[in-house]
Amino acid sequence: MKLQLQHLCKQYGTKKAVDQVSIDFQPGVYGLLGANGAGKTTLMRMICGVLNPTSGSIRLDGKSIRESGERYYTHLGYMPQDFGFYPDFTAREFMLYMAAVKGLDQKTAKVRTAKLLKLVNLSDVADRKIRSYSGGMKQRLGIAQAELNNPDILILDEPTAGLDPKERVRFRNLISDFARDKIVILSTHIVSDVSYIADIILMMKDGKILLQGSVTDVTDSIRGKVWEFLADEREAARYSRTMRVVNLHHEGKQVRLRIVEDSAPAPGAQNVEPSLEDLFLYHFGGNGQSERS
Amino acid sequence: MKCLVKYELLKILRKKSTLIIMAASLLITAVFFGLPVIQFQIYNQDGVLKGLGGIRYEREQYADISVPLTDEYVTETIREVQELFENPDNVGYDGNEQFLIDDAYWEEIAPREDLLNMIAANYAEPNVSVGYSSLTELDVSGGTDFYQAREEKIDKIFSDPSREISEEEKAYWQNMDSKVKEPFQYGYFEGWEVIISAFELLILAVLAICIVIAPVFSGEYQAGTDAVILSAKYGKTRLTRAKILAAFLFGILAFTLHAAVAFALPLAAFGTDGWNLPLQINGTTVPYPLTFLEGALINVGVIYLVLCAMIGLTLLLSARMKSPYLVLIVMVPVLFIPMFLAPNGTAGVYNLLIFLTPYQSLIPGFGKYLSYQFGPLVLDAFSMRALVYAVLTAVLIPFAGRGFKRHQVA
Repeated sequence: MKLQLQHLCKQYGTKKAVDQVSIDFQPGVYGLLGANGAGKTTLMRMICGVLNPTSGSIRLDGKSIRESGERYYTHLGYMPQDFGFYPDFTAREFMLYMAAVKGLDQKTAKVRTAKLLKLVNLSDVADRKIRSYSGGMKQRLGIAQAELNNPDILILDEPTAGLDPKERVRFRNLISDFARDKIVILSTHIVSDVSYIADIILMMKDGKILLQGSVTDVTDSIRGKVWEFLADEREAARYSRTMRVVNLHHEGKQVRLRIVEDSAPAPGAQNVEPSLEDLFLYHFGGNGQSERS
Repeated sequence: MKCLVKYELLKILRKKSTLIIMAASLLITAVFFGLPVIQFQIYNQDGVLKGLGGIRYEREQYADISVPLTDEYVTETIREVQELFENPDNVGYDGNEQFLIDDAYWEEIAPREDLLNMIAANYAEPNVSVGYSSLTELDVSGGTDFYQAREEKIDKIFSDPSREISEEEKAYWQNMDSKVKEPFQYGYFEGWEVIISAFELLILAVLAICIVIAPVFSGEYQAGTDAVILSAKYGKTRLTRAKILAAFLFGILAFTLHAAVAFALPLAAFGTDGWNLPLQINGTTVPYPLTFLEGALINVGVIYLVLCAMIGLTLLLSARMKSPYLVLIVMVPVLFIPMFLAPNGTAGVYNLLIFLTPYQSLIPGFGKYLSYQFGPLVLDAFSMRALVYAVLTAVLIPFAGRGFKRHQVA
């Protein structure tokens, strides 16, 4: 199975939301990392066939998804960001409805629904109206519906957004369970989520793929640019204002700073092993929203 | 497909708003069509009889006048009225016209006043309202040809320049009129009269249905479920059809429920009497050779087509707009503005278009001689409305489906 994006562009007026993206996806977990507005969701919507690209093409095993039509969608499972549910449906009804839309026969639909609801730990509340569900329960139901047709391509847009740490860990494990022999494209701006489960990191910025490779590969790009050193509190405050501080930890009267900079920020600063978080900060600025000047 | 339609219907029916809107709409329909029963009153010498008691009394009065309206019967009836007016003790005068009083009125006129007014109207000029007292002006010494008088009145309608009836239209109506059976059988038809005169009130049911189905597509966009269903195998194919089917199924069932209430209340109270009587006994110049039941059913058929087109339009807007509220911002004026656009005749493009609007299309207008001519082809109002709304439905539905299929999740 090979999913190819070829020179994919999406333009809104003069703004290029996705700009000349070309990627070949093979089975594995892809972590699409980028600040809000980087173009992750737009890219995923185009892959899912719910948003037409301005130019470029998406091919599954060499065939354009436009030409494939229904056949392409049988390979697809999609969990959009902040997607709505039918509040007057129970989880079981929602799953059976989605199974019907996905073209599963009724017997298979029932079996898959029961299995997936159990897997996402919603069996006990399967016959409760979705309106009574918490955010975490809805997210779990969201991934369960995406898995209904046992898709070869699983697209998850910010699946862990709004979840507490316990739910996020649980969710990551679920995704790992589902990911075998599939192309899983997972977008997030929560760096730790992808660092745990992604085989390949795709870093997006301004609609373009900035970096592509394994966690080690991409973090290697900033090797020698991550520094740690001790400073007093007044100096630490100054560094926070002027540099990209990844971490700040008080040790007695001093503060241990972790900074991403091209050159040593202070005498005695030591190079340390770079992480994905360092990389994110390097490219997207201090708060993960603003861009590097 | 059946499964998808079932779930789409469930989506519509499970919403509290659906139940509230339907309950309110059914209640309003029941009030509209039940009011003539509650407010019914008839007078006799002893005073006023109201409600079901009054209806029972009126039906008894009709037993004696449920007869074929032969020329002999009409002549005799006119003579009886004229004789009553010949006795000055029977006659009152209000400064404007003469009328019968006391026993002459209560015993001889009141039990058959509708019949007498109908006979009097047959001899009057078109668009002139007359009562039984005008029967005194007729010369029936040598008998009367009631049906000849009817034809003459219809001819006057044809020759009225304000109606702009062409030769082809005239031939069309004359051909239709030639199928009207004579003599007319008279009888009690109050229940049908209530229904026929209140058809336009069903516009509220049409609106209620449009409100309920407005979210069929736009509700998905608003809730953010569009991305999930459109990226599923049947999202852009069978699901689209299932949504359209479910909307129509709901609309037709809901409207049938409203129509059942609209028919059941008057017919339960006034009885079904009159179903087989000709429409002409409620207006002699009516050209349609139909009974009350046939006329009512044909108009209901047209209303169903109007409903289908309005469902189609609602679905098209729903597929194109981001929110159900935006859909209603368009639908409410489409349904209600024509209520305030009164036609000023039956000729001219403006009037002909007004009579084709959804609201006006609910009003049968049996006696209006409303026709549409396309070259040599003439269509009466029912045929034209049926054609327009059937074509609209057929055009709107594919566009609605295409709107959803092409929807871009953004």
